[in-house]
Amino acid sequence: MRIISIRNLSFLLLCILLTNSSCSKKQSPDISEQDVALKWAKMSLFITQYTPANSPTYASRAFGYIGLTMYESVVNGFESHNSLAGQLNGLNNVPKPENGKSYDWVLSLNAAQAAILKNVYRQTSDENKLSIDSLERVIYDHFKKIHKDNETVERSVAYGKSIADAIFEWSKTDGGHRGYLYNFDKDMVHPNRPGSWKPPLFAQSFSHLPLHPHWGENRTFLKQNMGLTTPQIIPYDTLPGSPYYNEFLEVYEKDQILTQAEKEAAIWWGDDPDVSFTPPGHSYYIATLAVEKEQPSLIKSAETYAKVSLSVADAFINCWKWKYHFFSERPNTFIPKYIDQEWESFWPDPPFPCFPSGHAIQAAAAAVALEDVYGNTLGFIDRAHEGRERDEVRETDFVIRSFNSFWEAAQETADSRFYGGIHTTQDNTVGLEEGSKIAQNVIALNWKKNPE
Amino acid sequence: MKFSQIHIVPYIFCFISHYGIWAQTTFTDITEQSGIDHYFQVYEGTFGGGAVAFDINNDGFEDLYLTSGTKEDALYLNNGDGTFKNIYNQSGVDVTKNYVTQGVVSADVNRDGWRDLFVTTINTTDSTNVIPRAKNLLFLNNGDMTFRDATTEYKLDQFNSFSTGPSFGDINADGYPDLYIGNYFLEFEGTLGVLKDATIVSAHQTAKGYLLLNKKGKYFENVYEDYDLDHSGFGFGALFTDFDNDGDQDLLVNHDFGYKAVHNFLYENRYPKKSFRDISEQYAMDLKENAMGSAVGDYNNDGLLDYYVTNIKFNLLMENQGVGQPFKDRAKELGTSIFMISWGANFADFDHDGDLDLYVSNGDLNPNCTPMGNFYFENDNAMFTEKGRITGTNDYGVGRGSIVFDIENDGDLDLLVVNQKPVQDYPTASVTKLFRNDEPHGNWLKVTLKGEKAETNGIGSRVEVVIGKTKMIREIDGGGSSHLSQNSTIAHFGLGKAQKVDSVIITWVGGKKQVLLDQKINQLLTITEVADEKQSYWYVILPTILLIILIGFYRSKKRKSDKIA
Repeated sequence: MRIISIRNLSFLLLCILLTNSSCSKKQSPDISEQDVALKWAKMSLFITQYTPANSPTYASRAFGYIGLTMYESVVNGFESHNSLAGQLNGLNNVPKPENGKSYDWVLSLNAAQAAILKNVYRQTSDENKLSIDSLERVIYDHFKKIHKDNETVERSVAYGKSIADAIFEWSKTDGGHRGYLYNFDKDMVHPNRPGSWKPPLFAQSFSHLPLHPHWGENRTFLKQNMGLTTPQIIPYDTLPGSPYYNEFLEVYEKDQILTQAEKEAAIWWGDDPDVSFTPPGHSYYIATLAVEKEQPSLIKSAETYAKVSLSVADAFINCWKWKYHFFSERPNTFIPKYIDQEWESFWPDPPFPCFPSGHAIQAAAAAVALEDVYGNTLGFIDRAHEGRERDEVRETDFVIRSFNSFWEAAQETADSRFYGGIHTTQDNTVGLEEGSKIAQNVIALNWKKNPE
Repeated sequence: MKFSQIHIVPYIFCFISHYGIWAQTTFTDITEQSGIDHYFQVYEGTFGGGAVAFDINNDGFEDLYLTSGTKEDALYLNNGDGTFKNIYNQSGVDVTKNYVTQGVVSADVNRDGWRDLFVTTINTTDSTNVIPRAKNLLFLNNGDMTFRDATTEYKLDQFNSFSTGPSFGDINADGYPDLYIGNYFLEFEGTLGVLKDATIVSAHQTAKGYLLLNKKGKYFENVYEDYDLDHSGFGFGALFTDFDNDGDQDLLVNHDFGYKAVHNFLYENRYPKKSFRDISEQYAMDLKENAMGSAVGDYNNDGLLDYYVTNIKFNLLMENQGVGQPFKDRAKELGTSIFMISWGANFADFDHDGDLDLYVSNGDLNPNCTPMGNFYFENDNAMFTEKGRITGTNDYGVGRGSIVFDIENDGDLDLLVVNQKPVQDYPTASVTKLFRNDEPHGNWLKVTLKGEKAETNGIGSRVEVVIGKTKMIREIDGGGSSHLSQNSTIAHFGLGKAQKVDSVIITWVGGKKQVLLDQKINQLLTITEVADEKQSYWYVILPTILLIILIGFYRSKKRKSDKIA
């Protein structure tokens, strides 16, 4: 708690410093449009990390609405792009701007991001909400000065807020609204058969119940991402030499020969919800790296966040549907029983079933979305966990990572779960495949008026 | 696989080499015939419960209080003939029905000569709390087999907590028993009003414990920070124990999820300073485990107290290497490391051969319900052999707290294990079990302490028995030397074939020693604390008088010799 408040305070101070520096250089607007999108993305990552009891599932949903809101709050200002109203699963009533009236789309985005963030994270602390308010204020003050007529300013702010309100209203019926209040269903009876998931004995979470067992029933953002074909799983078998046994043997054998580089990958992609911005946050962060590097237009920045976040959110819903459909065991259950009783995975188990991998599915979804916007040759340096204290238990440092493409990062994300000993190869392979399909549906939406 | 290959050899070796020297100890499951009819019903998942053996009415037979979670607790009066009678409903403790109870301990809080009760809770049973929290409960013994609720009078009603293991100790050696209480989830002060989502999502964060100082038997005050405790964690309670043999009570704190959240702690009591010093790292007791409980005992009779820490998967036997030296986990080489989920643990010389055996209560993480047999580790020359099945104590219920006490005062230690009711289908019965220890072959000695300045039952003090070159140590348990439970406060020693005890040494809390020589075997020895005022008075006066006489004598002699010269 104390740590959080100190970090919060420093964040506030940072905002104040920003304000001061921008004031001191009068007239020179040193906050660009892209900066505004980036600042809100970073604020979203901050709130995701510093809101207690957050989960990858809930975070994926929150990013979905935050990214969508960013896009919808600006899209009508650009001839090139279409609104997603009418294209998503029941999102029909999104306010349109008044004809012939002028809008400042940055102010609209600013108001919309503040509103949606405070709504989907209504469970965050008051001091975090103050941080959101102060960022909104800094940007508002900055861009307001550009306008001579106050009406445009007020109209833009009101419009942005109305977009956020409409999307938030829609979000309430998706099955995940305030989902942090029911992370675990203590009354639900789960399958108990050979090969079924067992509460982890080397665990990431205090809960012995599996996380969000009903998440797979949630409404997907896209109709196209409902009712996807259920992937195939290798049938249960304890016989040495059987495909099922070999899946786990491979995990066990890999664990014996993990290189330091593989250990670094394993802890880097851990993205533990208790101490980081969660795996969906990592994807939103990579989107931010792309925007920072490429400095695209405001609409393309917003498109980036929307495509990534919708893909990731739908990937999680499908992943959770399949996880609870198969309710399959982790290597930590199978290996001690059939291979080596003393074995323990390099990384602790998360509290939910195994197949397919949530990391893999969402990383693939994000990579496909990002490559759609920026191509498959954009390299970047991932500094998500830079400066974190060495993991003393595993004697491994957090070492920044460099990638030549988004897919390369997705592949490492998936592999890292195998190195961590918490996923088998099939969990990752299927995760990557299905995540790609889900993102393909997202990028196939009618985003642009005149597709190139 | 690797495990069994390595360990089968010493197992068999121990078994063969000692078989025939001591025939097997036999336990009999007397649950049904004793009249004990109990199980613990969970609120959600894993938590609870425990038991305490204590003498309600000072008739010399130890009675039992058992927590039951969401259902009615039990207070069993020992009839003295191996049977018990549940007097819960007429005893004045029935307010516990309104709470989801967890652990229980007993001490003489107000020094009136009667054992009082302290019960931890995690929630109320009316399920109106959005965040499960409740106050813990203190009951004072009226001396007529009834109790009165003294929670508010003792200023304990504002501690709104998710509390697990309680333990009594005496941190300032004033004879008024203090409390450490482990809290699992973030604790609150006072009642929770209208709840914001932000409060609800914070509820599952780690908690500080409580260190409640007993203010001369009038009320309790939380001195956690004042005594320099500042950890939070997923607490399962703590054990007051004098690990460094300096006469005051240090503190061993158990935390769940140590590898992920906050590790275990060992604190050195800096008595007479009002302060604890964190020495966890220095002593390698910053264990990063799922520590569910701990048991204290000098398993190898080397004069240093060792600690068995229960865990998920593999338990630890932390062997004391002496002051300033880090503890060593020797569970694996000593044979007490077997894949399991363990909770309660009790060091006791069940077979009266002069060393401490070890009982371990095992149970799955309800609602997951795989049966797990309890362990009975027989100590043979400081090596352990698991004999749960042979002794008949490998109960397969969902085990939690376990305690040892002497049901019928026949000189040996019997066993009680609290079992949870399995939430799902379960292939065998899972009810609280009472195991009578039958036919141990060696001699024994039991020692009961009567504190005059120290706590009435000697909680916080220790008893040492010396026979020839062998010295055995027992600490009087104030709770915490198990899981959510408290063993008998009567020290018990197995003596093997010894025909007398050379000396019995009491170290009263604070460091004062009292020695009794040449004691008879197979008896309950009651030792009343000698008032220290008289003792210290004579310690000062006698040497002073002697000194004056000597000086006078020397001077007169010198004068004489001067004259002669």
